[in-house]
Amino acid sequence: MEKILNKLLKFKWLSMLVIIAASAFFIFEMKENTAMETNLDKYMPQDHPAFIYSDKAESWFNIQDGIIVAIENKNGIFNTETLDTLKQLTKRFQKFDEINKDDVTSLYTADNIVGTEDGMDVKRFFTRVPKTEEKLKKLQESVRINEMIFGRLVSENEQVTVIIAEIGDDVFTPEFYDEILEVAKMSETDDIKIHVAGRPIVEGEMALLGPADMKKMVPIVILVIFVVLLITLRSFKGTLITLGVVFLSTIWAFGLMATVGIPIYAVSTMIPVMLIAIGVADGIHLYSHLHTFVDHNPQASKLEATKDMIKHLWKPVVMTSVTTAVGFISLLTSEVYPVKYFGLFTAFGVMMAMVFSLVFLPAGIMIFGLPKAKKIDVSEDKEGHSHSKLANNFAAGVIKHKYVSIIGAAVIVVLSIIGMQKMWINSSFLDKFEKDSDIVLTDKFINENFGGTSSLNLILDSEGKKDKFKEPEVLKLVDKMQKDVDNKLAVVGNTFSLTDYINRMNKVMNADKEEFNTIPDSKNMVAQYLLLYEMSGDPENLNKVVDYDYEKLNITFQLKKDDSKAINSALDIIHTYEDDFNKMGITMNYAGSGYKGLVFTDLILEGQIKSMVLSLLLIIVLISLMFKNFKIGLISSVPIIITAVISFGIMGFLGIPLSTTTALLSSIAIGIGIDYAVHFLEQYRTNAANTDDKMATAQKTMAHSGKAIIFNAIVVIAGFLVLLFSVFPPNRELGALVSLNMFTSFVGTLTIMLVLLYVSNVYFKKKKED
Amino acid sequence: MKTLKLVTAALLIVASLGAQAQLTGREIVDKAYNIPTGDDQTSVLTMTLTNKSGQTRVRKIQQFTKDLGDTEKSIMFFMTPADVKNTSFMNWSYDSDKADDQWIYLPALKKVKRISSDSKSDYFMGSDFTYDDLGDRKLDADDHKLLREETVDGVECYVVESVSKDEDYMYSKTVTWIRKENFIGLKKEFYDEDEELLKTLSIKKLEEIDGIWVITHSEMENVQKNHKTIMELNDIKINTGVPASKFSERMMTRGI
Repeated sequence: MEKILNKLLKFKWLSMLVIIAASAFFIFEMKENTAMETNLDKYMPQDHPAFIYSDKAESWFNIQDGIIVAIENKNGIFNTETLDTLKQLTKRFQKFDEINKDDVTSLYTADNIVGTEDGMDVKRFFTRVPKTEEKLKKLQESVRINEMIFGRLVSENEQVTVIIAEIGDDVFTPEFYDEILEVAKMSETDDIKIHVAGRPIVEGEMALLGPADMKKMVPIVILVIFVVLLITLRSFKGTLITLGVVFLSTIWAFGLMATVGIPIYAVSTMIPVMLIAIGVADGIHLYSHLHTFVDHNPQASKLEATKDMIKHLWKPVVMTSVTTAVGFISLLTSEVYPVKYFGLFTAFGVMMAMVFSLVFLPAGIMIFGLPKAKKIDVSEDKEGHSHSKLANNFAAGVIKHKYVSIIGAAVIVVLSIIGMQKMWINSSFLDKFEKDSDIVLTDKFINENFGGTSSLNLILDSEGKKDKFKEPEVLKLVDKMQKDVDNKLAVVGNTFSLTDYINRMNKVMNADKEEFNTIPDSKNMVAQYLLLYEMSGDPENLNKVVDYDYEKLNITFQLKKDDSKAINSALDIIHTYEDDFNKMGITMNYAGSGYKGLVFTDLILEGQIKSMVLSLLLIIVLISLMFKNFKIGLISSVPIIITAVISFGIMGFLGIPLSTTTALLSSIAIGIGIDYAVHFLEQYRTNAANTDDKMATAQKTMAHSGKAIIFNAIVVIAGFLVLLFSVFPPNRELGALVSLNMFTSFVGTLTIMLVLLYVSNVYFKKKKED
Repeated sequence: MKTLKLVTAALLIVASLGAQAQLTGREIVDKAYNIPTGDDQTSVLTMTLTNKSGQTRVRKIQQFTKDLGDTEKSIMFFMTPADVKNTSFMNWSYDSDKADDQWIYLPALKKVKRISSDSKSDYFMGSDFTYDDLGDRKLDADDHKLLREETVDGVECYVVESVSKDEDYMYSKTVTWIRKENFIGLKKEFYDEDEELLKTLSIKKLEEIDGIWVITHSEMENVQKNHKTIMELNDIKINTGVPASKFSERMMTRGI
């Protein structure tokens, strides 16, 4: 290996050209073939039972996410102007190509079914906008007494009314959103305000905002890293080449993705993050070694210096890269395709960074020359064995007070484990936005006035028993459960199912008497009410709550929050009814985007935890093999474990929820933790081979590897702290957590790992026995 | 004299041919709307609804209709499914602009209730037919235009486009293929407010009973919702003298 690398030094220009030509090809591929995937449904594993069922249920009952357009008039909505706006906007939304006309619901489209003395009245609330005071008053009255409308389409304070436009999963585009906002804006007057909300809007905004923010922030991150690298490496050329390695590996990773036709998912934006954090490490270690060599041998030629660098460092560079890549490849165990791709292409990027560090970087040195040597004052008392007083003192200090490290680490780990108990999973999209952003405020506004902007669909399935959901005892249980969930949970604003229609019909057919707002006792009565509704109302409405053969029922719970806590609190109460339904031969299933989001987040986490454990085991085995020592393998896992545990612990204490992004971030703990450990261990082994003095070994390693590790940490932390100024909260969390991981990795490596190495006597025992 | 007779006859033929050639869209539709149906009719209607998943609902209804000049009365009793058996429905529709009167009787409730509905575009018993589609539409609610004449499956037809005068009407226009032979429709296309095809009606079977043409099998398909309704008529009896007293609230509660 070393020979090949040295030979390649002779073909420095050729190596450079080949790498640059290949990069140009990948850039071309990216331009031609890169596609963004913003449809969140494409992220979900299509063959997972929960998704299969949900997708089926969505098509049975036409379950779609709704865009909610709220029309607000502080003077009340029952006036000609507001009602006219409602009518015009409803018609405008029905005309959108992206929206099916029948999927638009508002007070203008709704049927008003009311009981009269001698029968039943089915009317539109209004077709022509009422103009006289008397007619407006009448409309107001009819809305107030219809509980299928009041509180659902018109707020109880009568200042807000909504239009709900349900849309398919794949129709949301930025242009469509802009058009909606424009239409809404145009209808505003001094009195009338229009608000637009709903899950499609939130999802669409998120899919656009995250990457857009990243595009703005990443150049600043790179600039800061550049400046800090320049300061630490003391070399402009070196900085350019080190960053070049990172760029090239990112280009190759994305280029390969484009070439094989894999689209960019939201999680793919994490690939450059990983490569920046991990990729600069090799460069820093290589340059750090080169500096030390040049400082000690100012007369050496660049070929000698480069060869020495390769000789000492090709092994740790290969080892760190292979172990990191293995860590990422373990993400292939995830059921979520974007995560699999993330793991695979990050691993590819890491391996490419290794190739570039060993070929491109040396070729660069050969072409552009060595960094300047720093004069070393040999006479100065360094208080130890290395050339750095600071490193000597630090290493000696750590070893002398080794119990501080051990106890400190133990305490921190215990505290972190306590913190981890407080961790929670969040599949909320809304929580990813600023608390004072338009999208959050609108959502809050609508939730204050209506049942909720998020929904959970419970599908009751009698498994093929026709007319099961005409049976009064079944419907009564459904009704009871709905009321139970609605009453017990403040977060559930509304529930809706077939029972609401039957209750209403029963009341209407009994002269609108409130005591008949119940499920009747006879099955035939239920069947006849349903027939009557079909004949007089819009039968399409029933198709949304029950299937044709009355074998399956769709119950909608409207939630005021879209986070996992809200969904789970509703699920907890629903589950208490599961036994009763099972006894009736009915099974429970769930559907809808909120539920899928919850399952999806769980899947990601489960996959992440599985892959972390797997990669940790793989890494311990790999390191044990590489160093031919099992103890070393175990010791090397310490920085990883500490980094991961602290990261999760702090998330628990700070209330940062686990989400797709923050979960994936734990991969960085592995990637960086193992890099630091391997570089340090390899140096320690080399130094130990030349001396019997444990302290000298520790001090030299600290001066050499330790310095590089600190540089590495400072560079990346400085860069990622920039993300704290991001406008997109998840990107801020990302910046904070990457910085935290870098920090704990380096502290862990230089303290507790060193102590463990020292105490374990590896590399010294044998000599003593000899 | 003989020649004169011949000339007169020839002229008459020419005149009638000319008259036929001059039929306007409106006249064609007027004839189609006014096909004799007899004074009363009794039949069993089987309605099969099929949704997009291929699930079906079959309903069998015994129905009676009677034309009382300015009023057309109908009464129907559900025979199946069992859970709605003897549910009955009565409709009085008027030639004047007066809205239909409708009653429903639910045997489980044991009460006759009036239903008032202001929407003429209401679907008939959950099917893909609206009341208008079933022949309740007034001639002058639309502007009719003869588009062309063509032969479909060997049947010579007029193709007439009818555009609604009311902009808010659920169909922007309909296109009807009307048989030249007897002015009974062959098929019809319904276009929604955005002028996109919404439904197609096909008349599959015609029977002449006691000199009256009756459509005995028709299919309406909503192409936007993938929903279909088949209507079949059996046991048709015409002009049997159904008494006017049959169409009362009391008779509704009696069952079949």
